[in-house]
Amino acid sequence: MRWPEVEQLDDQSINVASSRRALLGTAGALGALATIPLIGRLLQLGDALASPSKAQDAKILQLVLQLEYTQVAFYEQALRQARLTGDLRDFAQTAVEHERQHLAAIRKALGPKAGPKPRFDFGQKTKSAQAFTQAAIDLEDIAVAGYNGQATNLTKGTLAAAAEIVSVEARHAAWARAIAGEVAAPDPVDKPITAQQAARGLREFGLRT
Amino acid sequence: MNGFEHFDDLLTAVDHDGALAETRSKAEATLSRRHLFGLTLTAAGAVAIGRTRDAGAAAGLSASDVDILNYALVLEYLQASFYTEAERSGALTGKTAQAARIVGATERAHVKAFLELLGSQAVKRPTFDFQGTTEQQRPFLKTAVAFEDLAVAAYKGQAPKLQSNPVLAAAVGIHSVEARHAAWMRELFGITPAVDAFDRPASRTSINRIVASTHFIVSRPKLTGRKRPTFTG
Repeated sequence: MRWPEVEQLDDQSINVASSRRALLGTAGALGALATIPLIGRLLQLGDALASPSKAQDAKILQLVLQLEYTQVAFYEQALRQARLTGDLRDFAQTAVEHERQHLAAIRKALGPKAGPKPRFDFGQKTKSAQAFTQAAIDLEDIAVAGYNGQATNLTKGTLAAAAEIVSVEARHAAWARAIAGEVAAPDPVDKPITAQQAARGLREFGLRT
Repeated sequence: MNGFEHFDDLLTAVDHDGALAETRSKAEATLSRRHLFGLTLTAAGAVAIGRTRDAGAAAGLSASDVDILNYALVLEYLQASFYTEAERSGALTGKTAQAARIVGATERAHVKAFLELLGSQAVKRPTFDFQGTTEQQRPFLKTAVAFEDLAVAAYKGQAPKLQSNPVLAAAVGIHSVEARHAAWMRELFGITPAVDAFDRPASRTSINRIVASTHFIVSRPKLTGRKRPTFTG
């Protein structure tokens, strides 16, 4: 595990108020970048906080912790309740093992400040194979977009560690789509979401804290 | 720590004629700049970019970011050319043909985005010889898996080095798409789409060595901009 140590801070919600200004300030200096559709879109959607710092890493990791708790709980419950078979069962078993390792890594990075496992209500998402597949795609996409959205907010060391996780989440999403017979990589570039959007996405998915 | 395991996986996956494993140790022993020409600029070329007055000036990019973007551009050229050639060969069928069409279009979009971003600083498209891997479905899939896993590892290795936040935001958005591609191609090939809980990065040296060992690149990219500094401050 190569997660850098992060400062131990009280859990607090991530302030994204200054988000656009910070990133667009950079963009202003870069001007021409915004004329490229793919990148222009990212400039508008990017979620920049203050400059990266160990303290900020810790705040972001609290959100990531919630994400990984949600993924572990979701796959565990689905493996118990959704009567998964064949490829879907292989996928869920592999994914839950990966998510457990991600969770352990984030908990270790946060140390004593890592919060306890939240409560969840996944509704029908873990009750059938069909519902599970779509929900898994949704949750993995939230994970990818959530991690990507924090890339510019993390210190370089923590970014490098997070990058080892985000591509695995992307693989999970593509895997689930392929099993469902869908186009496994629908977009040329993955859109990031802000910390607030990620938190809202997790609540809507079933995170109850 | 299984970085070497991944390196071996990559090498095995691109070792379509069974000869690469043998040449690997030789390649490592005799590794020289000449072997790296396929994928990257020479040190002199990179320095020239850094010194060139209009280096990335339109976009305000640092010389280091321009260098990384050109490296990414060559990887995207490699992938785009590979999928385009496979599509044109008519050898692909079913889900594989559909995936190749979609992934190919995406890689071409990545090339276009980097070309626009780099402007006159972009390296030219190298000439490729995919050694027959685009003409049969199984060798195509095996090579596609290798390219996509390679791209994921390469972007991951470079992302923390990018200085421009907008470029970083774009790079991570492409990085995760390459991971989706890797999983898709792996699924089509019939191997597990996500091997480990953590995807490890690869250095430019490792990536260059692997690509060089395939002999897929038959001409090195050249700078389109001026190679000599015209502004020395």
